[in-house]
Amino acid sequence: MVDAEQFIEDAVEELREEIGDANAVIALSGGVDSSVAAALAYEAIGDQLIPVYVDTGLMRKGETDQIRETFAYMESLRIVEAQDRFLDALSGVTDPEEKRHAIGEQFIREFEREARESDADYLVQGTIYPDRIESEGNIKSHHNVGGLPERVDFEGIVEPVRDLYKDEVRDVARTLGLEAIVAERMPFPGPGLAVRIVGEITSEKLTVAREATAVVEDELESYEPWQAFAAVLGKATGVKGDNRVHGYVVAVRSVESRDGMTARAQELDWETLQRIQSRITGTLPNVSRVLYDVTHKPPATIEYE
Amino acid sequence: MVRIDVVDNHGQFTHLEQRALRDIGVDTALLDNTTPPEEIEADGLVLSGGPDIADSGRCAEYLDLEIPVLGICLGMQVMAASLGGQVDDGEYGGYADVTVEIVDENDPLVGSLAPETRVWASHADEVTALPRGFSLAGRSDVCAIEAMSDPDRDLYGVQWHPEVAHTEAGEEVFENFRTCCE
Repeated sequence: MVDAEQFIEDAVEELREEIGDANAVIALSGGVDSSVAAALAYEAIGDQLIPVYVDTGLMRKGETDQIRETFAYMESLRIVEAQDRFLDALSGVTDPEEKRHAIGEQFIREFEREARESDADYLVQGTIYPDRIESEGNIKSHHNVGGLPERVDFEGIVEPVRDLYKDEVRDVARTLGLEAIVAERMPFPGPGLAVRIVGEITSEKLTVAREATAVVEDELESYEPWQAFAAVLGKATGVKGDNRVHGYVVAVRSVESRDGMTARAQELDWETLQRIQSRITGTLPNVSRVLYDVTHKPPATIEYE
Repeated sequence: MVRIDVVDNHGQFTHLEQRALRDIGVDTALLDNTTPPEEIEADGLVLSGGPDIADSGRCAEYLDLEIPVLGICLGMQVMAASLGGQVDDGEYGGYADVTVEIVDENDPLVGSLAPETRVWASHADEVTALPRGFSLAGRSDVCAIEAMSDPDRDLYGVQWHPEVAHTEAGEEVFENFRTCCE
């Protein structure tokens, strides 16, 4: 484990040295990695840091409001409403890698505009160690690695948490006083709810993934999962109030892990599973079935796409 | 301080091997698997896992360096294939939770884990015949050769991943290997 206090001191020093009097931008996703990177950079250079949060429409329930609140102390925070533009970019795209690519591209387009307007010479990123490994190994592409630097001519890119694992980032977050981020937020993938929807993204499926994930997070709080969520798989037949429903199939996933590299599907009791099932099918008229995913990683990954 | 380098065969968990060594206080670095053997200055080597034996670089040459070597997953398979054993696709892939029975409690690497240990695995291929000079150290219901050792040459192999958080006694395996390297 890294010594958090020492780490913070060194990282702030490094950021200060590297960025100097210039302006820097950072993309805030709301997750712990970018939040820690932003807090470190803000500590180092204050309002020379312009944190940009892009609401892709692929975020969890209430996420944008929470970001607004957590980072209210950074006066330079910008929130970009880009929900419709992302849906357009994803229309008709079904291949998982293409999906990630489309999101990455759109994200760059949004961020590029903000970066130019903010007159920033530096880009700060919350890339952590496993992101680099997974990208290098071509298992999945992470949208916060690569792409942007080719489009915007930054003088430098600073990745203050590049050598840390997730558990170490959390430790640093706690030491930085970002308690809410650690306590209330599970890891959330860069491409957001898009990787929890198998096949094409539509606003209808997004609503299902978002609402169902909120139910799962709420019901499983006491199990303290490393990550818990709901994914939308496809459609199947059901019957509700004497009417046939051709509704969505929702998979519930809840895993425990140290670093996301391996994961164990959690053993949940039947009553809890039934309550989740009942709340999801009862409040979402277009869901016909709820499944529980019992697969560990490996052979599965944590997210679906 | 003992120095144990990790040879990268492009596995998903290579960096966790480095972390596990760092966490037990061993001096460690990640080496490309094409590093010339004469440039290696470590007291011991870990050959990482990886997707393809054809992409294992110069790993086989490192077995002649006369330092302890621990082959993990593909690293163990490279060891077997180049020392006269055999590697084939297993009948049953080993993924996630596997219970390994330790068959030799005096084995320097895994003997202390006897009688059994729960491990996390991720492999399709496996060692199907021991190389000359090696003896069986562990087996499971899904894989007949889960661990093999040649204590005379200090060459060891495990088919599972001691470096991941879900392997029960992973740290102990690295501690035992460190003892071999001292």
